Amino acid sequence: MAYLELTDVSKSFANVAAVKNFSLAIEKGKLVSFLGPSGCGKTTTLRMIAGFEQPDSGTITLGGQDITVVPPNQRGIGMVFQAYALFPNMSVAENIAFGLKMKHTPKPEIEKQVDSVLELIRLSDTAKRFPHQLSGGQQQRIALARALAVQPQVLLLDEPLSALDAEVRLALRGEIRRIQSDLGITTIYVTHDQEEALSISDLVVVMNKGDIEQVGSPIDIYRKPQTRFVATFIGTANQFTGEMSGEHTVLCGQYQLNTRPPADRIASGSAVLVLVRPEAIQVEMEADPRPSVNAIPGMVETVTFHGAVTRLGVNVYGQRVVADVTETNTGVINLNQKVWLTFPPEVCQVMVQNE
Amino acid sequence: MASRLNTKHKAPFSYLVILAFFLGYMLLPILATYLFSVATRWDRTILPEGYTLEWYQTAFASSYFTITLRNSLIVSMASVLVSLLIVVPTVYWVRTRLPEAKPLLELLMILPFGIPSVVLALALVQIYNMPPIARSPYLLVSATVIFSMPFMYRAVSNAIEAIDANTLTEAAQSLGAGLGPILTRVIIPNIFPGILSGSLLVFATVFAEFTLAKLITGAGFKTFPLLLVEYTRKNGSVAAALSVISFTIAWVASMLILLVGRSGKSGRQEHAPTH
Repeated sequence: MAYLELTDVSKSFANVAAVKNFSLAIEKGKLVSFLGPSGCGKTTTLRMIAGFEQPDSGTITLGGQDITVVPPNQRGIGMVFQAYALFPNMSVAENIAFGLKMKHTPKPEIEKQVDSVLELIRLSDTAKRFPHQLSGGQQQRIALARALAVQPQVLLLDEPLSALDAEVRLALRGEIRRIQSDLGITTIYVTHDQEEALSISDLVVVMNKGDIEQVGSPIDIYRKPQTRFVATFIGTANQFTGEMSGEHTVLCGQYQLNTRPPADRIASGSAVLVLVRPEAIQVEMEADPRPSVNAIPGMVETVTFHGAVTRLGVNVYGQRVVADVTETNTGVINLNQKVWLTFPPEVCQVMVQNE
Repeated sequence: MASRLNTKHKAPFSYLVILAFFLGYMLLPILATYLFSVATRWDRTILPEGYTLEWYQTAFASSYFTITLRNSLIVSMASVLVSLLIVVPTVYWVRTRLPEAKPLLELLMILPFGIPSVVLALALVQIYNMPPIARSPYLLVSATVIFSMPFMYRAVSNAIEAIDANTLTEAAQSLGAGLGPILTRVIIPNIFPGILSGSLLVFATVFAEFTLAKLITGAGFKTFPLLLVEYTRKNGSVAAALSVISFTIAWVASMLILLVGRSGKSGRQEHAPTH
């Protein structure tokens, strides 16, 4: 049974559709990410759940109750903003106590609750400080504590880490996930950072131009992208264009690729796209003798050292294909060297080309 | 480096000349007024011929002194209050819910500078020509509120632009706050310095306002500047004494407001970084 459910929710601004017929069911206690480029409608959707924007059509229900027109201050939904939005005139403790005061919670209980959430975010020593005396990362943790103090039914996080630097972002990401799992609070996390979404979520909703492109577990989103947009937005993917020549073979000009059997049967002769992640490609000096394994010849054009991996740009019949290799499994690779790109059918995702 | 040293040597002198000129231009009339208010006679010599407090005694003894002072304080404080009640919610509303109305508001807030107070006063007197409003202190306060509103608007508007009013509002909403607590606990405390300086400007402007008071209420509700102008015709020295009193009141009021502002701040922002 879905806890938070959006049904056919749409919203336009000045006749430009920001969100189109968005439907999604979220189970209690899950962390769901809305992932997409800016302007994809993820923040608008979040703001409609919070009540800051009214949908033009569609309904939003929470715990079985229709909350579509309930004012934001009566929804019991907590929110953390990109810009922290701590009240500058209040101390950390006062900020956290604010929501409890609004609920007319008795004073001793407020104090207890403030202490407990401060402990949860491991910032008990900052209670008396003011927001401007804290670092960005600390401020965002306080904002999280403030939102959690009122024990909301749903927690919304709107790009909470975007304003922070890389190191803090990484640490806080883990912290958010830890707290979320500890409390078992249903959470929606909006981000444009794919790594963030993949690492933190139970479920990822990839959005583009107001539409949902794909909903799935992080692993499915990465390994089995269902649209070209998802495949290219999440990570890097080589794209081979060709046409279906068998149930799971694709003819790409001079070579044929064996692919994973597509989810839905694709008719022979259909124009398709085969997506292969760079890290799934092995670079060999000789052709693989097994006929089931894909092996295509190419010439190394670029070698870029990335630390853990080295990214090769290989010219395959005029097309640039990238492959990530670790130094141990390839030895030294030189420019203009002839190589064989080898990859099993399981890593080849086929999709119908509809553009 | 050399050029920097050069400017360091040259700049102070030219700056000092400009500064001295400016200060002289601003302060000389005030100093002269102060001196004139304690001078026995000062029209045949470079410095006053003697010094006396007689003019202050005459001023204080005038039956109108306390009445006009009280009237002016009433009008000034009422203007501050009405101005606050109109401007603060409006600016907040436009900032958070109706940003498209901002250009209109900006335009309206320039109008009082463009319309001479004589025109404003005569128009109001003619339009609101029915009792109990006609020529009443209420009408005067309405006029002074319009006349001084740009000062309040500018100060409050700048203050609200400096905080992220939208996000703070939404943060408070998501924590269960309605409009009342949002305004009183979140928005107003954070724009308080702007509210203070706006109040100060309105108070000072209205306290010294002559034209509107003269044309709208006149003798019916005489204000301090009216008394002052009366005395400039009767006795310049007493007028100077009244001017000094008027200055002093404006300064004391400013200091009080600044003090209140600072004490409200110091408790919570003593470690505030300067930015």
